[in-house]
Amino acid sequence: MSTAESTTSPNPGLRDRVGTVFTVRPLTVGLALFWVWVLARWTTDFVLAGVFGLDRGTPFVPAAPFLTTADSVASFAAPFGAAGAPLLWLADTLQFAADATAYLPALAHGVWTTVLLTVFSVCLGFMLALPLSVVRVYGGRWARWLALSYTELIRGTPLLAQLFVLYFATSLTQVLRGVPGVGVGFVPAQAFWVAVISFTLNSAAYQSEYLRASLESVDGGQLTAARAIGLSKLEGIRYVVVPQGLRLALPSWTNELVYLIKYSSLASFITVQELYGRTSTIANETYQYTELFVLVAILYLALVVSASALMDRVESHTATAGVGHTRQ
Amino acid sequence: MTQPLLSIDDLHKSYGSEEVLEGVGLEMDKGDVTVLIGPSGSGKSTLLRCVNRLTEINSGRIALDGQDVTGADTDVNELRKQVGMVFQDFNLFAHLTALENVTLGPKKVLGMDGADAEEAGRTHLEQVGLLEQADSYPAELSGGQKQRVGIARALAMDPELLLFDEPTSALDPELVGEVVEVMRDLAAEGITMLVVSHEMDFARSAASDIVFLDDGEIVEHGPPEQLFQNPTADRTEQFLSRLHAHEETA
Repeated sequence: MSTAESTTSPNPGLRDRVGTVFTVRPLTVGLALFWVWVLARWTTDFVLAGVFGLDRGTPFVPAAPFLTTADSVASFAAPFGAAGAPLLWLADTLQFAADATAYLPALAHGVWTTVLLTVFSVCLGFMLALPLSVVRVYGGRWARWLALSYTELIRGTPLLAQLFVLYFATSLTQVLRGVPGVGVGFVPAQAFWVAVISFTLNSAAYQSEYLRASLESVDGGQLTAARAIGLSKLEGIRYVVVPQGLRLALPSWTNELVYLIKYSSLASFITVQELYGRTSTIANETYQYTELFVLVAILYLALVVSASALMDRVESHTATAGVGHTRQ
Repeated sequence: MTQPLLSIDDLHKSYGSEEVLEGVGLEMDKGDVTVLIGPSGSGKSTLLRCVNRLTEINSGRIALDGQDVTGADTDVNELRKQVGMVFQDFNLFAHLTALENVTLGPKKVLGMDGADAEEAGRTHLEQVGLLEQADSYPAELSGGQKQRVGIARALAMDPELLLFDEPTSALDPELVGEVVEVMRDLAAEGITMLVVSHEMDFARSAASDIVFLDDGEIVEHGPPEQLFQNPTADRTEQFLSRLHAHEETA
């Protein structure tokens, strides 16, 4: 409460100093609450629970008050018949909130796994995609052909099939199970890492296409000028072409990030309990499909909007006059 | 007789079946300012780009300070440290500020440390009158300012020879003067310059030599007053009169 008050209070000194950073917008507040909740859950369940021997997954908010309120609202509305409908909707909402408090701790773990899955895959994918795209644009004939084949193979086959091939048809799972630390404490088990590898390989292909298009749109004179001051071709690409290409690629790269957040739900098919996997497991046990999938939709939306907001920040932070589109 | 700084001998270059340079020979001493003129397509820019090997030659010999430039075992990056180039379209690094444009080469190619490179970079920007624009990005500069940054970037490598590829052709007429003025200052400081330009003002006042290139060969070569006043070849005379006619209408 106190932070919300201090940001809304008309304190000109503070406003001057922090500028637009702390202008309160409902979206920002919503996202902030979401991430505070995710981090608080993680801290209690993985750190505090271990230290103090508490039960993992104890809800932060008890369900009982919601249930009793829902009951009394419903019984109050009963005599009014059809006229009491708005009150019944309120009762339903309170019932939904009561259910949500029970499910949210488990879903928070799902959020955490989805975030890890996406961040690992998109970052590792980027590390592969950058050299791939440079090879596509500047490589020799054979190297270009090899990079193109990889990209087409990955983009031309379903992600789910790639996931299954890695999980069931190779010994990757066995190998990963043998790696010390895998599945211990808060380090996820082998299926998670198979999913990371699969998404990395997939995302690398897509990202390399975005990057290739951006590298190609950097004016050829840039590399010529870099060569003319004595930089090698590789140095010219690294110091001159790639920095410009990355800036041009940001919008489409954000797109890939947003896709991957949602595509990562496919990992549930190989037993990874990420957000979607957890939701459908609980739904299969409780039959509360509607409630759970409304909840999970809200959580995915929060993740996607957070990613877009973050990349928006990155875009305006790296905006350079004359490189790509600059918003005023 | 001392060894010339740049010597080009029997240079041939063709693109496919089209021969662009047909046996060009040229010598420059330290401090010379040679201006290449000629109709478009005569091979001026190609000749320039052969000198720093942005273009590979077919046959002939180019030597800088007695060192073979065109040999297979010549380190092109080493060569380009000694030969600066200024482009028609500026080609400033779009993602870097004016100062960063100037310091990239010294930092990454010459291995200077950041502070030294920046100090030297500021000196070079000052030399072209753009110290105040040090932190501006190319898109925020006028064409004339861009080209002056381009010159500062080339100067920052402390080259033995500066190549100018039509440095004022992409500029609005009112911006040409500031670039020509900088070039004239450099010429007066004794910097060796090989310039492709039709800026007659510069050619008359700063050039030590004018070379008229047509159809891939050097038609005439001489000091400006001689070449402009009493050209010996008909082709030179025709070209110059066309150029004058253009200047008067412009």
